[in-house]
Amino acid sequence: MNFNLRDWGASIWDKANKWQRLAIGLTIVALLFAAPLLEKTFFNTPSTPFISVLFYPIGIYVLMALGLNVVVGKSGLLDLGYVAFYAVGAYTAGILSLHTKLNTWEILPIGIVLAMFSGLILGAAVLRLRGDYLAIVTLGFGEIIRITALNSESVGGANGISGIPNPPTTFGLKFDLENQVTYYWVILILIIITVLMIRGLSVRRPGRAWESIRQDEDVAELMGVNTYKYKLWAFAFGASVGGAAGVLFASKAMFIAPNIFNYNISILILAFVVFGGMGNIWGVVTGAILLSYIPERIRFISDMRMLIFGLLLVVMMNLRPDGMLPRKKREKIKQVGESNE
Amino acid sequence: MSKEVVLELKNLTMQFGGVKALNKVNLQVNKGEICALIGPNGAGKTTVFNVVTGVYVPTEGEVLFQGKSLKGKNRHKITKLGIARTFQNVRLFGEMTALENVITATDVHNKSGLMGAIFTTPRSRREEKASREKAHEILKFIGIDHRSDQLAKNLPYGDQRRLEIARALGTSPQIVLLDEPAAGFNPSEKKALAELIVKIRDRGYTVLLIEHDMSLIMGISDRVAVLDFGEKIADDLPSVVQNNPKVIEAYLGVPADAS
Repeated sequence: MNFNLRDWGASIWDKANKWQRLAIGLTIVALLFAAPLLEKTFFNTPSTPFISVLFYPIGIYVLMALGLNVVVGKSGLLDLGYVAFYAVGAYTAGILSLHTKLNTWEILPIGIVLAMFSGLILGAAVLRLRGDYLAIVTLGFGEIIRITALNSESVGGANGISGIPNPPTTFGLKFDLENQVTYYWVILILIIITVLMIRGLSVRRPGRAWESIRQDEDVAELMGVNTYKYKLWAFAFGASVGGAAGVLFASKAMFIAPNIFNYNISILILAFVVFGGMGNIWGVVTGAILLSYIPERIRFISDMRMLIFGLLLVVMMNLRPDGMLPRKKREKIKQVGESNE
Repeated sequence: MSKEVVLELKNLTMQFGGVKALNKVNLQVNKGEICALIGPNGAGKTTVFNVVTGVYVPTEGEVLFQGKSLKGKNRHKITKLGIARTFQNVRLFGEMTALENVITATDVHNKSGLMGAIFTTPRSRREEKASREKAHEILKFIGIDHRSDQLAKNLPYGDQRRLEIARALGTSPQIVLLDEPAAGFNPSEKKALAELIVKIRDRGYTVLLIEHDMSLIMGISDRVAVLDFGEKIADDLPSVVQNNPKVIEAYLGVPADAS
């Protein structure tokens, strides 16, 4: 397999000038906004409404995979409790919309901040641990959030919270059962913003700091990287993305309960990241789209579909252990003398 | 020339369980000199580096940098103050390009952080550009700028060692601790490295050097300190140390008839 999709894509991007890049970017964005049109084609999901599949699971999962990718893929911190931040976002939406008059758009930033805050608290407590130990503690944290919600009658206990209002009509766009495409557009905008933010971070100081921490934490610190601070930031960033996903999920689903936020979700999102290619934004996005779409597409074979899903994972990880689009820096090898020595 | 002490070890003791890796070591490194730290394997040379850079907390004694104690300082703070090091076994960020390796080190003095990067603030832009230029300049100084866009792990061994030095210089240190920079080099490479170390000194950096190659040490050092079983047994001009009986004993063992 010499053809490398990632290198091919990157070479087009490298050759393009500023305006061509803008054109490529806008075209892709326009195509993405038009994705609901695929409903009439082969891609339609037979057993579930395609447009709602675009929002959940695909959109929500892509967003979460992007957030987790910063933690696991870029900084190398194995977080097995990512669902906790999703839950914090969702419960923020549930509680605030029932007890206050705030609408979804006003709750969204609050949910993001609260999730980020919980990320900071968790991070401050556990980021002195490394590797497997970190994984175990985060796994525990994910469960703590769920079990706390389960046992708190004030947030509905096992029954959860129902009757969470949909977002209000905004710019003439309605958000309800008949107009589901608007949800997809909103999550698409959030995904695009997140991608742009991560790209900005990746090529600058935080990206280098994360990368160096992932590769050799001790050396990174000895080279002056404030490893604790940057690990904390990675955690907080990932958490706030998860929180945003949670708020949107709650306002679309109108109902949340603790059992929605079990640790399966954490593992699933981690699978997207690994499957797509840790550390590579495009790999992670593609991985999340494929893996959240395929089970919906083959839903008609009901019981068999998870078997096929698992098989696909096993086969894929054997063929491409680094994921579909692995992170690999492209090198430019100059001849000696080419530089101005 | 007045001697300004950059780095001072005071009564430094480092104990691992029952083993005293360092025993009441005193050492002063003056500004602008190449000070060599030699000794047989296991004498505690690398332990000195690890204590100075904050990897280990000394059991007793303290390290003074420019007159101030480094006690309780985080490792990255120590680096920021002006102490940089290389590693005995090359420990580069292999998945980064040579240039990025150096830029990561230059970041220590940058101020923009997460928000600056997300919103591309003017300061972030300015610092990124300055760091890049500085990194290129250092790579040129070390002589491996033509490798700047190659992944560190794919560099030839010699260039990896040089890149380690470049990365250390990236932090704009006062003093550079070089841990066996010539390990695995052939004689001509060693000669080039010796010239490079002198060049680094002449540029105003102070160098503390661990090395096994005696001809390299004797050729370029302004001063040589000798460690043996965690104790300093000599500290003088290279020519004096060379003839010190204690040093010869430490390296070659005690002659049978003398003991």
